[in-house]
Amino acid sequence: MNIISKKTNLMNEEKKRKYWRILRTAVIALCLLTFTPLVIPEGVYKPELFGVPYSLWTSFLITVTLVFLTYLGTKVHRGVDEEEVEL
Amino acid sequence: MKFWILVFGIAYAALLIFASLKSYKKGRSVEDFMMAGSSIGILLGVLTYAAALFSTFTFLGMPDFFRRHGIGAWIFLAVSDGAMVFFILWFGYHIRMKVKQLGFKGVAGMISKCYGNKWAGYTIFLTAFLFLIPYVGIQIQGISIFMGAAFPDFIPSWGWAVGIVIVMLVYSEIGGLKAIVYSDAIQGVLLLTVLWIIGYNCLNAFGGVAAMFDKIEVDNVALLSTPGPEGLFSAQFFIASMIAIVMIPVTQPQLTTRLVVMKSMKSMHLMAVAVGAFAILVITPTIFIGMYGASFLKDTLVDLPIAQQAGVFFKETFLYRQPNFVAALALVGLIAAGLSTTNAQIFALGSEIRGLLNLEEKKVMRITKFSIFIFALIALVFSELIKDQIAMLARVSFAGTALMGPMILLGILSNRKVSTFIILASFAALVIFLLSLGGIIPGSYFGLRLDLTLFVSLSVVALISYGMGKK
Repeated sequence: MNIISKKTNLMNEEKKRKYWRILRTAVIALCLLTFTPLVIPEGVYKPELFGVPYSLWTSFLITVTLVFLTYLGTKVHRGVDEEEVEL
Repeated sequence: MKFWILVFGIAYAALLIFASLKSYKKGRSVEDFMMAGSSIGILLGVLTYAAALFSTFTFLGMPDFFRRHGIGAWIFLAVSDGAMVFFILWFGYHIRMKVKQLGFKGVAGMISKCYGNKWAGYTIFLTAFLFLIPYVGIQIQGISIFMGAAFPDFIPSWGWAVGIVIVMLVYSEIGGLKAIVYSDAIQGVLLLTVLWIIGYNCLNAFGGVAAMFDKIEVDNVALLSTPGPEGLFSAQFFIASMIAIVMIPVTQPQLTTRLVVMKSMKSMHLMAVAVGAFAILVITPTIFIGMYGASFLKDTLVDLPIAQQAGVFFKETFLYRQPNFVAALALVGLIAAGLSTTNAQIFALGSEIRGLLNLEEKKVMRITKFSIFIFALIALVFSELIKDQIAMLARVSFAGTALMGPMILLGILSNRKVSTFIILASFAALVIFLLSLGGIIPGSYFGLRLDLTLFVSLSVVALISYGMGKK
C-alpha cells in the first residue's frame, strides 16, 4: 500500500510541476503580449467593447486572466506541500 | 461637512485606539514588536498587504494618471499587479524557505547573511532609505493637501503633516507591527469603500461607462489609447514599470516582511490571489474619477500651471463636488491610507536597521525606535518639498528599489558561494540612477530607458555570478 501511495504521490508531483511550468509560460506570454501592438496599438481605440476603448478592455481581460492563473498556481505550486511536510 | 468629518474622524480614532490597545502586550519581545509574532491569517494578510501596496498613490495618483495620460494607466498598474501576484507564489516560497534557514530580521540583514558580506545589507538599506522616504513624503503631502482644503486658514499645511507624523509615531510605539496590520485592515476597507462611492458618483455624472468614453472621445480623444496625450505610455515605459512593480515584494521591505509574517504558505498563496482581485476592484473606480476630471474639470484646469492642476483636481473631485458625508469619508479614508502606508514604510526602515545591528536586544529596540523617529522627521521635511507628480514619484520609488532586485534574488535563490561582484555592481547602478534623477546624466541611451538598462545589466551580472559560484 505504501509503495502504491508513494508512486501516486510522485506522479502527482510530476503532474503538478508540469502544470506549474505551463502556468509560468502562460503568464510570461501574457505579459509580453501586453507590450505588443496587439494590445497597445498606437493611437487606436477601436474596436470598443460595451463602449470601452480597445486597449482598456484587452488589458482588463489580461489582468483578470493573470489573477485566475495565480489562483490555479496556488493549486499546483509545490510550496504548500513542502511547508506542511517541514512543519 | 465638518460635522461628518468629526463623526467619521472619531470613529476612525476609536478603531485605531482599540487596535493599538489590542496589540499592546506588556513585556513583549523585539520579535513580537517587530514581526507581530509571525502569525498573520489570510483576511488580515490580504488587507495589510493591499493597504501597504495601495496607498495615497492609488487614492490620488491613479485618478490623476488617468486624467492626464489616459487608459494606459490601467496597464501601468493593474496588469503589472496581476504579474506581481503570480510572482508572489514563486518568490514567497523561496523567501520563506530561506527564512527557515537563516531567520529574519529585515531584508538587509538577511541578504548580508546570504552573501556573508555586510556591504550587501548596507547597499539595500541605503536604497530603501533613499527611495522610500519620497514615497512616505507623498502620503504625508496628500493628507495635508486635503486637510488644508477642508479646514482652510485653520493651520498651515505643515501643521497637518506634523500632526499625522505624531499620531503615527505614538501608534506604532504602542502597538508595533500588529497594530500597523490592524490599521492597514481598517484602511483597506475604507479605501475600497470611498473609491467606489466617489467613482460611482463620477460615473453617474456621465450616465454610464459607454457615455463616459463617448464624452472623452469629444473632449480629449488621445486619452482613449496609448501612448496618451503626453506620449508617456510607450511599450518601454510599461516594461520598465512592470519590472519595478513585480520587484516590489522583493525590494520593498514593508511588503517582504508581510510575506514572511503570514501564518503559513497556504495563507500566503491565497493572500496573493486576493490581492490580485483587490487590485482590480480598487483601480477600476480610479478610471471613472480620472475621466471625470479630464472631462468636467477640463475648463477649470486648462489655464492652471501643471504643478497646480493635481491639487485643484483632488479638491474638486473628492471634496467640493461630493455630498458632505462622502467628502468627509474621503478625507478620513485618505488620512487612513496615508497613515497606514507611512507607518508600514517607516516601521520597515526601522526593522531594516535592526537587521544590520549585532547588539543586545534592549539596545537594538532603543536604536530601532529612535531610527523610526528620525526617518519620520526626514519624511516630514521631504513632504513639504513635493507638490505634484504623485504617481510619477511613486514610480521612481518603485524603479529605484527594483535595482536591488537581482542582488536580493541571487542571495535568496543561491545555495552556492557566489561572487560578491553583484554588490559592487548594484551600488554602482544606484549611483548612476541617482545621477540621472538629478539631471547630471541623461535618463536614456540609444533610445533605451536607463532604469531598464540598469536592471537588465544587473540581471545579467547576477546570472553570471550564479553560474560561476562554487557549490
